[in-house]
This record gives sequence, structure tokens and C-alpha cells, in this order.
Amino acid sequence: MRVSPQKAGILLITPSVFLICALLVYPVLYGVWLSFFKKHSFFPEQKFVGLANYLYLLRDSDFWMSLWYGTFYSVSTIVLQIVVGLIAALLLNEAFRGRNFVRGVVLFPYMIPTVVAIILWKWLLNNQFGLVNYLLLALGIIDDPLSWMGKDYIMTSLIIISVWEFFPFVVLSVLARLQTIPPVLYEAAKVDGAGPWNRFIHVTLPQLRNVLFVVILLRSIWMFTKFDTVWLLTQGGGAEKYIRTLPVYAYMRTFMYYQAGLGSTLAVIMFGILIASTTLYFKMFRREEGI
Amino acid sequence: MKPKDTFLSARGQAIYWFAAILLIFTAFPFFWMVSTSFKPLREIFVSPPYLLPKDFTLANFDRLFEQTRFLIYFKNSLFVSTSAVVFTMAIASAGAYSLTRFKFYGREKIASLILFTYMFAPIMIVIPFYVLIKKIGIANTHFALIMAYTAFCLPFSLWLLRAFFQSIPLVLEEAALVDGATRFRAVFHVILPLALPGIIATAIFTFILAWNDYIFVRILITSDHLKTLSVGIADLYNATVIDWGMIMSGGMLITIPVLAFFIFIQRYLIAGWGTGAVKG
Repeated sequence: MRVSPQKAGILLITPSVFLICALLVYPVLYGVWLSFFKKHSFFPEQKFVGLANYLYLLRDSDFWMSLWYGTFYSVSTIVLQIVVGLIAALLLNEAFRGRNFVRGVVLFPYMIPTVVAIILWKWLLNNQFGLVNYLLLALGIIDDPLSWMGKDYIMTSLIIISVWEFFPFVVLSVLARLQTIPPVLYEAAKVDGAGPWNRFIHVTLPQLRNVLFVVILLRSIWMFTKFDTVWLLTQGGGAEKYIRTLPVYAYMRTFMYYQAGLGSTLAVIMFGILIASTTLYFKMFRREEGI
Repeated sequence: MKPKDTFLSARGQAIYWFAAILLIFTAFPFFWMVSTSFKPLREIFVSPPYLLPKDFTLANFDRLFEQTRFLIYFKNSLFVSTSAVVFTMAIASAGAYSLTRFKFYGREKIASLILFTYMFAPIMIVIPFYVLIKKIGIANTHFALIMAYTAFCLPFSLWLLRAFFQSIPLVLEEAALVDGATRFRAVFHVILPLALPGIIATAIFTFILAWNDYIFVRILITSDHLKTLSVGIADLYNATVIDWGMIMSGGMLITIPVLAFFIFIQRYLIAGWGTGAVKG
């Protein structure tokens, strides 16, 4: 039996396209549709309410708070991830004994289940028995144990944990690129009398431009929509209110208040913000070359 | 020569210091988890804390197996993740082969669609996904979970496999075809062996993604005996007194399969990374 290449190609890609459309694209569109309804999460009844969900959120102070917390959380973790990741990648690009070992270990936090990252850090940051408070007290940096999971420090804790969990992504992406920079460029810069700092600014950074463009893009999307790390830190209890980002708020509306319509509206708004900001990002930074 | 030598050694020393800090920052939390999980209760809460257990014990693991359904969760995780890998790989390999070996109308559009959906985060789809699953009546089944993972892993598996397949020269296949092999034999004997490392790496990434997931299980599964590890472990916090020793031993046991796989694929990692191997 002979099948034309055209047909064979379409035949082989069909299952992928079907599943992606049915299980990813369709739910997103269905979510947009749901956002115009008042819909209980468990029961089938639904009532068309037009833009009421959107208008409700405009006047909902919890929504604006979650937008603020979400933005603060993503911007601060992205900046820190990039800085820590970049330094680590530059270090791991140097030759030293045990380098491969360190390269491997540095990636661990990114590979483990989020729930493990959370239990590790909740134990380290435990206010009574945690090692971090013990060390800070022993070194005389603080006089009283810090309540890391309390309202004053929970955002700090969350940021530390998130940077720890996700900076390896930056390390690997940047490291992969660093290894392809031709050494000739550095030699030429040295001949021209450039010191280490100038070589970094004028040789390394321009070469990393494209990879950083992609890394910042992906990390922004994923940090802004990060649910599990944020949610698992409190699981809705304790100082949860002080780290209630947009994804967590959408989850709570749907699965604790059973307002699937309002939850979908929040997801749609999140999607809208992402599309708007990525478009802007592309316009601002990707004028020249392709990646 | 002298000044240069001291400069070099200062630089070398700085590198070692930074490497040590980096190593402690990333690895120490793991070390502490392992150490805690082998400590008896009184050592866990002692101040000043011991770096290593003095009285090495397996009591935490005993409690984990006796007082919780850890083994059931483990079995569920294994079943769901493995099934998701099988489905994803079967569908994505065919798709990626098609995208790299055949020309047809709309091919580039499909590639863009895949890249676009690759950026979807779980939270953007779970709410409508949940409502739909409820409607169809398959909520609270492993099947729903497997479908969710397959769909969610497809874009990045396709993207990654596409890159791997692209790196296999077309001429090899053409040569086999000219020699009279059927397309099927050409794929089986020429392409598959060369693509195998890429396929294994992609399969492991898919496995890790499914194994690590929390949100889909939390939302789609309500029966305790169907839960997987992430949710099972997270629920250990619901106890009135938090049993840190038991939680740490559970955390250690979930991490082991992931790290074992990770060490296995490490050499493929850099190749895969640039093409979007990992997400989250």
C-alpha cells in the first residue's frame, strides 16, 4: 500500500493536533466562554451574566491585591533568578576540579517535585526548630527567632524558595550558550586591553542577549502563572493572604468559593495580561535579529 | 612571573569559594532532608541541632508506611506517570517525524501552534478543564489525569523531538529508501536507533513533569486511594501535629526516582535545553 507523502504527513500529525486542540486550546476557549457565566463549580447550572464577572473584579479589592502580589512576586523572583543564575553559569563555565559534579548538583532543585522543595524549606525555615533561625541566632544576626511563615516574612520566604527552585533553568540555558562563544573574541578583547569587567560587558553580554531574551520571556510567563509553589507554602492557611497571587486567587475562587465563572474570568485576565505583555516585550526588545 | 602567579591563585581561590557557596546553597537542603529523615524524634527537635543523626533510625519510614497510604500513592504515581509517558511518546514521535520528514499544507502553522501552547501554564487550563471533565463524567479517575498529562506534555515533547529528528540527516533515510527499503523499515532501522537518545531524554522529561505535578491531581482526584505522591505528601501537613521526620522521609523517597532519572539524562540535558526541554 502506497500513501502519498502529503497524506502520510497529515496522518501522523493528526493525533497530536487533535489532542492539543481538544485538551489545551478548547479548554482555554471554553474558559473564555465560562467567564460570561455565573457557574457553580460542582453543579451543572449556569446563568449568562455578560460582563458581570469582569465588572465585579474591577471593584474587588482582593483582585487588585492579588494582581499586586502576583506582579511583585514575579518581578522580584525573575530578577533574582537571572542574577543568581547568570553568576552561577559564569562560574560553572570556568575550569576547576569537580566542575561537572557541581554542574549536576546545581540542577537538582529544578528537577524535584515542588512539594519536596516546599517541605525542605518549611523545615529549614521553621520558626521554632528550623536551622536557619538557629544559625541566625547563633551568629547574633537576630535576637529573636523570625517567624518566616508569618505575615511579615512569608513573601520573603516564598521568594527565597522560588529563586532556589527555578534559578537552575537560567544556569543551564546561559551555560549552554556560554560554551559556544568563540574564545577568539576574548583574546581579541585582551589584546585591546580590556579587563575582566569590560570583557564581560562588551563580549559576554552581547553574546548572551538572545538567550537572555528567551529565558526572561519563559520565566516571566511561568512565574506569573506559578501556582503550586505559592499555594503549597500555606495550602490556604496561616499567612496565605499575604502571598495570594493571581493564580492562587483564581484557584480559591473556583475550588473554595465554588465560583467557576469568576475563577475562569481570573484565568482569562491572566491570559490577557500575558499576551499583552509578551507582545509589548517583543516590540521593545526584538527589533533586530531572530533567535 | 611572581605577581601573575598570585593573581591566578587568588582567582582560583575565588572560584572555589563561589563554587562552595553555590554547592551549599543548592545541596544543603537535600542533605538536611536526608539527615532529618534518619533521626529519632528527640534529635529532630534538639538544639543545637546535630548535622548527622547520632542514633540512626528507620522509625520515620516505618511510620510513613504504616500510618499513611504512601505505598498506594507511590504505585498511583508510577502508573499515571508511566502511562502518560507511553501515550505522549507514541503520539509525539509520530507528530515530530511528520513535522520533520513530510511537506504538507499548514505544517508551519502547526509548528507555531505547538510553540504557542508550549507556553500554557496549568492554572490557565485547569478550571475549564475541570468543568469539562465533570461534564463528561470522568472526574476522579486516573484516566482523566493521564489525559491531562499527555495533553500538557505534548507541546514540549513535540518541540524537543522535532529538534532531535531535525539533527538526523535526511540523506540516511533517502539512501535506505533508494536501496529498496520501505518507509517503515527505513524508520525502524535507520532513524529510530539514531533518535533513541532523544526519545529517551524526552520520555524522561515527560515522566518527571507528570511525577512532579500537583495541581492536576489536586483538582481532578478526590478519592484518597487514587491520589498520587505530591498531593499525598502535601496532605501530611493537615495533621494537628506535624511529623517532620515522617514528612522528610516521604520527601526523600519521592525525590529518589526523579534524581536517578536526572543523573541518567544529564548528558542529554544541554542539547535538549536550548530547544525547550523543560518547563515549569
